[in-house]
Amino acid sequence: MKVAIQTKNNIVYITIQGSIDSNTAGELQSRIMEELVSLNRVIMDLTNVGFLSSAGLRVLLMLYRQLNSNGGKMLLVNVSEEICDIMSMTGFINFFELYSSIEEAEKKFKLT
Amino acid sequence: MKAESQFQVFEAAPGSLEPIRDFIASFATANDVDKKKIFKLILAVDEIASNIMNYGYPMAGIDDGTIQVSIGCQDGKLRVVLEDNAIPFNPIEKSMPTPEDLMKPVEDRPIGGLGIFLARQSVDLFDYEYRDGKNRNILVVAID
Repeated sequence: MKVAIQTKNNIVYITIQGSIDSNTAGELQSRIMEELVSLNRVIMDLTNVGFLSSAGLRVLLMLYRQLNSNGGKMLLVNVSEEICDIMSMTGFINFFELYSSIEEAEKKFKLT
Repeated sequence: MKAESQFQVFEAAPGSLEPIRDFIASFATANDVDKKKIFKLILAVDEIASNIMNYGYPMAGIDDGTIQVSIGCQDGKLRVVLEDNAIPFNPIEKSMPTPEDLMKPVEDRPIGGLGIFLARQSVDLFDYEYRDGKNRNILVVAID
Protein backbone atom coordinates (compact mmCIF):
# COMPACT_ATOMS: atom_id res chain seq x y z
CA MET A 1 0.00 0.00 0.00
CA LYS A 2 1.17 3.51 -0.81
CA VAL A 3 -0.28 6.70 0.65
CA ALA A 4 0.18 10.20 -0.70
CA ILE A 5 -1.06 13.12 1.39
CA GLN A 6 -1.27 16.66 0.10
CA THR A 7 -2.86 19.81 1.47
CA LYS A 8 -4.37 22.44 -0.80
CA ASN A 9 -6.85 25.24 0.01
CA ASN A 10 -7.39 23.82 3.51
CA ILE A 11 -8.39 20.44 2.16
CA VAL A 12 -6.35 17.31 2.91
CA TYR A 13 -6.14 15.07 -0.15
CA ILE A 14 -5.35 11.45 0.62
CA THR A 15 -4.55 9.15 -2.29
CA ILE A 16 -4.20 5.48 -1.50
CA GLN A 17 -2.87 2.78 -3.77
CA GLY A 18 -3.01 -0.94 -3.03
CA SER A 19 -4.69 -3.00 -0.33
CA ILE A 20 -6.02 -1.84 3.02
CA ASP A 21 -5.87 -4.91 5.25
CA SER A 22 -4.86 -5.61 8.83
CA ASN A 23 -1.23 -5.43 7.74
CA THR A 24 -1.45 -1.90 6.30
CA ALA A 25 -4.37 -0.27 8.16
CA GLY A 26 -2.30 0.78 11.18
CA GLU A 27 0.24 2.66 9.08
CA LEU A 28 -2.53 4.31 7.07
CA GLN A 29 -4.29 5.49 10.19
CA SER A 30 -1.20 6.99 11.80
CA ARG A 31 -0.13 8.71 8.55
CA ILE A 32 -3.54 10.34 8.22
CA MET A 33 -3.95 11.28 11.89
CA GLU A 34 -0.67 13.26 11.72
CA GLU A 35 -2.20 15.45 9.02
CA LEU A 36 -5.48 16.12 10.77
CA VAL A 37 -4.05 18.14 13.63
CA SER A 38 -5.02 21.48 12.11
CA LEU A 39 -7.34 20.63 9.22
CA ASN A 40 -10.71 18.93 9.16
CA ARG A 41 -11.73 18.59 5.53
CA VAL A 42 -10.62 15.42 3.80
CA ILE A 43 -10.98 14.04 0.29
CA MET A 44 -9.91 10.40 0.13
CA ASP A 45 -9.26 9.00 -3.33
CA LEU A 46 -9.79 5.23 -3.43
CA THR A 47 -9.49 4.83 -7.22
CA ASN A 48 -6.49 2.53 -6.88
CA VAL A 49 -7.59 0.58 -3.84
CA GLY A 50 -8.30 -2.94 -5.01
CA PHE A 51 -8.94 -4.48 -1.62
CA LEU A 52 -10.31 -3.28 1.71
CA SER A 53 -11.13 -5.47 4.72
CA SER A 54 -12.78 -4.76 8.08
CA ALA A 55 -9.41 -3.34 9.18
CA GLY A 56 -9.88 -0.69 6.47
CA LEU A 57 -13.44 -0.02 7.56
CA ARG A 58 -12.09 0.54 11.08
CA VAL A 59 -9.73 3.21 9.78
CA LEU A 60 -12.66 4.94 8.03
CA LEU A 61 -14.66 4.75 11.25
CA MET A 62 -11.85 6.26 13.35
CA LEU A 63 -11.40 9.08 10.83
CA TYR A 64 -15.12 9.74 10.71
CA ARG A 65 -15.24 10.05 14.49
CA GLN A 66 -12.15 12.23 14.65
CA LEU A 67 -13.49 14.58 11.96
CA ASN A 68 -17.00 14.62 13.36
CA SER A 69 -15.70 15.68 16.77
CA ASN A 70 -14.12 18.81 15.30
CA GLY A 71 -16.81 19.73 12.81
CA GLY A 72 -15.01 18.22 9.84
CA LYS A 73 -15.95 15.94 7.02
CA MET A 74 -14.45 13.26 4.80
CA LEU A 75 -15.58 12.61 1.23
CA LEU A 76 -14.69 9.35 -0.52
CA VAL A 77 -13.88 9.32 -4.24
CA ASN A 78 -14.15 6.43 -6.70
CA VAL A 79 -15.06 3.62 -4.35
CA SER A 80 -15.10 0.35 -6.33
CA GLU A 81 -18.27 -1.67 -6.67
CA GLU A 82 -16.82 -4.45 -4.50
CA ILE A 83 -15.87 -2.04 -1.70
CA CYS A 84 -19.29 -0.39 -2.01
CA ASP A 85 -20.80 -3.84 -1.39
CA ILE A 86 -18.81 -4.23 1.83
CA MET A 87 -19.93 -0.77 2.94
CA SER A 88 -23.55 -1.73 2.19
CA MET A 89 -23.32 -5.04 4.06
CA THR A 90 -22.05 -3.28 7.17
CA GLY A 91 -24.31 -0.22 6.93
CA PHE A 92 -21.30 2.10 6.52
CA ILE A 93 -22.69 3.29 3.20
CA ASN A 94 -25.30 5.37 5.06
CA PHE A 95 -22.68 7.46 6.80
CA PHE A 96 -20.14 8.22 4.12
CA GLU A 97 -20.47 10.51 1.13
CA LEU A 98 -19.28 8.93 -2.09
CA TYR A 99 -18.28 10.89 -5.21
CA SER A 100 -17.23 9.76 -8.65
CA SER A 101 -14.42 12.29 -9.05
CA ILE A 102 -12.21 14.63 -7.04
CA GLU A 103 -13.82 17.60 -8.81
CA GLU A 104 -17.28 16.51 -7.63
CA ALA A 105 -16.02 16.21 -4.07
CA GLU A 106 -14.33 19.64 -4.27
CA LYS A 107 -17.61 21.18 -5.42
CA LYS A 108 -19.28 19.79 -2.32
CA PHE A 109 -16.68 21.44 -0.08
CA LYS A 110 -16.92 24.73 -1.96
CA LEU A 111 -20.68 24.78 -1.44
CA THR A 112 -20.46 24.18 2.30
CA MET B 1 -3.74 -23.64 -16.12
CA LYS B 2 -6.51 -25.45 -14.26
CA ALA B 3 -5.70 -27.47 -11.19
CA GLU B 4 -8.19 -29.44 -9.10
CA SER B 5 -6.69 -28.53 -5.78
CA GLN B 6 -3.67 -26.83 -4.30
CA PHE B 7 -2.34 -26.00 -0.88
CA GLN B 8 0.32 -23.76 0.53
CA VAL B 9 1.62 -23.08 4.04
CA PHE B 10 2.04 -19.46 5.09
CA GLU B 11 3.73 -17.90 8.09
CA ALA B 12 1.00 -16.57 10.43
CA ALA B 13 2.16 -12.95 10.12
CA PRO B 14 0.35 -9.92 8.66
CA GLY B 15 2.83 -9.83 5.77
CA SER B 16 1.32 -13.13 4.57
CA LEU B 17 -2.17 -11.66 3.99
CA GLU B 18 -1.43 -10.37 0.52
CA PRO B 19 0.31 -13.62 -0.61
CA ILE B 20 -2.66 -15.61 0.76
CA ARG B 21 -5.13 -13.41 -1.16
CA ASP B 22 -3.00 -13.73 -4.32
CA PHE B 23 -2.87 -17.52 -3.92
CA ILE B 24 -6.68 -17.73 -3.72
CA ALA B 25 -7.25 -15.19 -6.48
CA SER B 26 -4.93 -16.88 -8.97
CA PHE B 27 -6.52 -20.30 -8.43
CA ALA B 28 -10.02 -18.83 -8.73
CA THR B 29 -9.10 -16.82 -11.84
CA ALA B 30 -7.69 -19.96 -13.47
CA ASN B 31 -11.06 -21.60 -12.79
CA ASP B 32 -12.98 -18.76 -14.48
CA VAL B 33 -14.64 -17.48 -11.33
CA ASP B 34 -16.01 -13.96 -11.80
CA LYS B 35 -14.27 -10.98 -10.27
CA LYS B 36 -16.96 -10.12 -7.73
CA LYS B 37 -17.06 -13.64 -6.34
CA ILE B 38 -13.28 -13.73 -6.10
CA PHE B 39 -13.30 -10.48 -4.17
CA LYS B 40 -15.82 -11.83 -1.67
CA LEU B 41 -13.91 -15.06 -1.22
CA ILE B 42 -10.57 -13.34 -0.66
CA LEU B 43 -12.28 -10.95 1.77
CA ALA B 44 -13.63 -13.89 3.81
CA VAL B 45 -10.25 -15.67 3.77
CA ASP B 46 -8.42 -12.44 4.70
CA GLU B 47 -10.72 -11.80 7.67
CA ILE B 48 -10.33 -15.33 9.06
CA ALA B 49 -6.56 -15.38 8.48
CA SER B 50 -6.23 -11.95 10.16
CA ASN B 51 -8.05 -13.26 13.22
CA ILE B 52 -5.77 -16.28 13.44
CA MET B 53 -2.68 -14.05 13.19
CA ASN B 54 -3.84 -11.24 15.44
CA TYR B 55 -5.65 -13.23 18.16
CA GLY B 56 -5.45 -17.01 17.71
CA TYR B 57 -1.69 -17.50 17.83
CA PRO B 58 -0.86 -14.62 20.23
CA MET B 59 -3.46 -15.97 22.70
CA ALA B 60 -1.92 -19.43 22.38
CA GLY B 61 1.50 -17.91 23.14
CA ILE B 62 2.84 -19.21 19.83
CA ASP B 63 5.00 -16.78 17.85
CA ASP B 64 5.98 -18.96 14.90
CA GLY B 65 2.58 -20.31 13.87
CA THR B 66 1.53 -21.19 10.36
CA ILE B 67 -1.68 -21.23 8.35
CA GLN B 68 -2.20 -23.91 5.75
CA VAL B 69 -4.45 -22.72 2.95
CA SER B 70 -6.01 -25.32 0.65
CA ILE B 71 -8.22 -24.57 -2.29
CA GLY B 72 -10.10 -26.95 -4.52
CA CYS B 73 -12.72 -26.85 -7.20
CA GLN B 74 -15.36 -29.55 -7.49
CA ASP B 75 -18.99 -29.81 -8.63
CA GLY B 76 -19.26 -26.11 -9.40
CA LYS B 77 -17.97 -25.08 -6.00
CA LEU B 78 -14.76 -23.54 -4.78
CA ARG B 79 -13.77 -24.78 -1.34
CA VAL B 80 -11.09 -23.14 0.77
CA VAL B 81 -9.83 -24.65 4.03
CA LEU B 82 -7.67 -22.73 6.50
CA GLU B 83 -5.89 -24.84 9.10
CA ASP B 84 -4.01 -23.57 12.14
CA ASN B 85 -2.74 -24.79 15.52
CA ALA B 86 -3.79 -21.69 17.47
CA ILE B 87 -6.32 -21.61 20.32
CA PRO B 88 -9.65 -23.25 19.42
CA PHE B 89 -11.90 -20.55 18.02
CA ASN B 90 -15.23 -21.20 16.36
CA PRO B 91 -16.36 -18.16 14.33
CA ILE B 92 -19.82 -19.68 13.97
CA GLU B 93 -20.42 -19.45 17.72
CA LYS B 94 -19.59 -15.77 17.70
CA SER B 95 -22.70 -13.62 17.81
CA MET B 96 -23.37 -11.65 14.67
CA PRO B 97 -24.40 -8.00 14.56
CA THR B 98 -28.18 -7.62 14.22
CA PRO B 99 -29.76 -5.51 11.46
CA GLU B 100 -30.34 -2.88 14.17
CA ASP B 101 -26.63 -2.88 15.01
CA LEU B 102 -25.81 -2.31 11.36
CA MET B 103 -28.13 0.70 11.21
CA LYS B 104 -26.53 2.33 14.22
CA PRO B 105 -24.85 5.66 13.55
CA VAL B 106 -21.13 5.28 12.99
CA GLU B 107 -20.51 7.22 16.23
CA ASP B 108 -22.18 4.50 18.31
CA ARG B 109 -20.53 1.50 16.77
CA PRO B 110 -18.10 -0.67 18.58
CA ILE B 111 -14.71 -0.71 16.88
CA GLY B 112 -14.23 -4.18 15.50
CA GLY B 113 -16.42 -7.27 15.41
CA LEU B 114 -17.14 -6.80 11.72
CA GLY B 115 -14.50 -9.14 10.35
CA ILE B 116 -16.24 -12.42 11.12
CA PHE B 117 -19.56 -10.96 10.06
CA LEU B 118 -18.10 -10.01 6.67
CA ALA B 119 -16.41 -13.40 6.31
CA ARG B 120 -19.62 -15.31 6.97
CA GLN B 121 -21.72 -13.04 4.77
CA SER B 122 -19.32 -13.26 1.85
CA VAL B 123 -19.41 -17.02 1.27
CA ASP B 124 -22.25 -19.42 0.50
CA LEU B 125 -21.24 -21.85 3.22
CA PHE B 126 -19.08 -21.34 6.26
CA ASP B 127 -18.13 -24.30 8.41
CA TYR B 128 -15.76 -24.89 11.29
CA GLU B 129 -14.30 -27.90 13.03
CA TYR B 130 -11.65 -28.52 15.66
CA ARG B 131 -9.84 -31.78 15.18
CA ASP B 132 -6.44 -33.18 16.22
CA GLY B 133 -5.48 -29.86 17.80
CA LYS B 134 -6.26 -27.89 14.65
CA ASN B 135 -8.84 -25.27 13.78
CA ARG B 136 -10.32 -25.86 10.36
CA ASN B 137 -12.25 -23.00 8.80
CA ILE B 138 -14.06 -24.11 5.66
CA LEU B 139 -15.35 -21.59 3.15
CA VAL B 140 -17.37 -22.58 0.10
CA VAL B 141 -18.66 -20.51 -2.82
CA ALA B 142 -20.76 -21.65 -5.74
CA ILE B 143 -19.13 -20.58 -8.96
CA ASP B 144 -21.71 -21.06 -11.68
